[in-house]
Amino acid sequence: MATSQENNGEQVLYAAHKKIYPREVSGYFTRLRVLSLVTLLGIYYVTPLLQWEGRQAILFDLPARKFYLFGLTLWPQDFIYLAALLILAGLALFFFTALLGRIWCGYACPQTVWTEAYLWMERKIEGKRTQRMKLDKAPTTAKKIRTKVLKHTVWIAFSLWTGFTFVAYFTPVDELANKLLSLSLGPWETFWILFYSFATYGNAGFMREQVCMYMCPYARFQGAMFDSDTLIVAYQPERGEPRGSRRRGVAPTSVGLGDCIDCSVCVQVCPTGIDIRDGLQYECIACSACIDACDEIMDKMSYPRGLIRYTTENSVLGKAQRVLRPRIMVYAAILLLLCGLLVAHISQRVALDLDVIRDRNTLYRETRDGLIENVYTLKILNMDSQSHRYKLWAEGIDGLKLASDQTEIVVEAGSVYQIVVRLQADELNLEARSVPVSFYLQAEDSNHLSTVEEARFVGPGETR
Amino acid sequence: MTPDKIPFSQQAISVLWPSFLTAIVATGIFFSAFNPLDLAPFNLDIDISPLAAYSIGFFIFWMLATVSSLGTLYFTVSNCRFLSKQGQ
Ligand code: SF4
Ligand code: SF4
Repeated sequence: MATSQENNGEQVLYAAHKKIYPREVSGYFTRLRVLSLVTLLGIYYVTPLLQWEGRQAILFDLPARKFYLFGLTLWPQDFIYLAALLILAGLALFFFTALLGRIWCGYACPQTVWTEAYLWMERKIEGKRTQRMKLDKAPTTAKKIRTKVLKHTVWIAFSLWTGFTFVAYFTPVDELANKLLSLSLGPWETFWILFYSFATYGNAGFMREQVCMYMCPYARFQGAMFDSDTLIVAYQPERGEPRGSRRRGVAPTSVGLGDCIDCSVCVQVCPTGIDIRDGLQYECIACSACIDACDEIMDKMSYPRGLIRYTTENSVLGKAQRVLRPRIMVYAAILLLLCGLLVAHISQRVALDLDVIRDRNTLYRETRDGLIENVYTLKILNMDSQSHRYKLWAEGIDGLKLASDQTEIVVEAGSVYQIVVRLQADELNLEARSVPVSFYLQAEDSNHLSTVEEARFVGPGETR
Repeated sequence: MTPDKIPFSQQAISVLWPSFLTAIVATGIFFSAFNPLDLAPFNLDIDISPLAAYSIGFFIFWMLATVSSLGTLYFTVSNCRFLSKQGQ
């Protein structure tokens, strides 16, 4: 069987879909998994409800183009942080995959998290695996229709809540709830709530393991991050084979069999419908359901646990196991370095931005006192959470003077202030046609809030 | 096994899904650099909400990426047909 699967790998991968009815399972890893799934779901639904200093704690404010993250306000200029965060997340995935295998798939991936939630609702309404299979095969009766309608109603309600929560990350949740209750949601808000709800309903209710098999890029390339010391879920064939049924309490050796009683419970619990006894397979999301299931069987038979267990290729082959191997240490070092850089950078972040635009119409002009004058438009962005008064000066040429019609620079929190300034210099002090100058901007009440911006000062130069 | 034997639903997914992911990234980068309110397209004076602008931007990116993915799928499938006709 194992060989036929290998030969027809592609056919199997693209075979017509058979509906999978995962059997319920309990045990240590299942509890661990449920704990992780419930925590993650909780974080998702509760986060938009958190408040911080009178506003939503985490909010992508699209109209204002700001991202609130508790006390921190990020602007489009801070896009680099988001990019760095994504790179970090990618690296973390490499690190944890090399160390712990597909731990992400089984315990943290949104696809798994929501599928489990929908499966749980399905179980509550339609019953256990055998009952669900029977129900689907049964002829259409009023009771069947009632059960199915109930299930889909509950699913859709949960999906809509999920979609609402998603949009609440972009529109303040109280505003959104008010609009919803007064039926005055905007067309795009409505659209995104429905879009996200539909995606959740489809992915968690129907697509399920097919998302992992056909749509997930990570599932395709995670194998490349594995080595012989990566944690995997595996069956121990040398202990289990030859498999065969027997009565409870019969010692395997007395009937010439291995420890596997061929009860196929491990296959029935598998959310992707594979047989772990065929070896490590691409479809396996390492959810550990088969470990708990088989341990329970082993307990019933009074055999030692662990016929299916978390292990590594090296330990299966009886070789020494290494946790700290070069690959792990390199990933860890890069990860730590990037984390450190990011934290250092954010703590050094100056909540002030200065943009200098030279007047494009005139290169330079001459003042009545015979000085050369250049005109600039300055855009000052105060990214801090309070307003500030700023000092502005320029350096770069001997005797450089800065003049403006606006005498004082006060910028409100989170707003942009525009000011037109004139720089004046004596032609004798200009060493070239175009000289670099620096604009310095500094908040009067904070030394930390200061910034420098380079610009060019243009004069008549040699041509004169 | 040639790509044209892959069921239609899976072909559709292999076009729509990667382009969806690409569109998310493109939308993020594009709108970090440009404020949609500064970008009146072709000097048209239209009044739309920021959410509408971001959403439309996203769908334009998705459409473009879909066209590109469709092209890749089309060439892959037709190349495979051509090669199998030549008996390779
Ligand atoms: S659950 Fe354990 S004993 Fe039962 S078939 Fe699977 S490996 Fe064998
Ligand atoms: S083989 Fe076991 S660990 Fe892998 S997906 Fe199936 S139940 Fe989960």
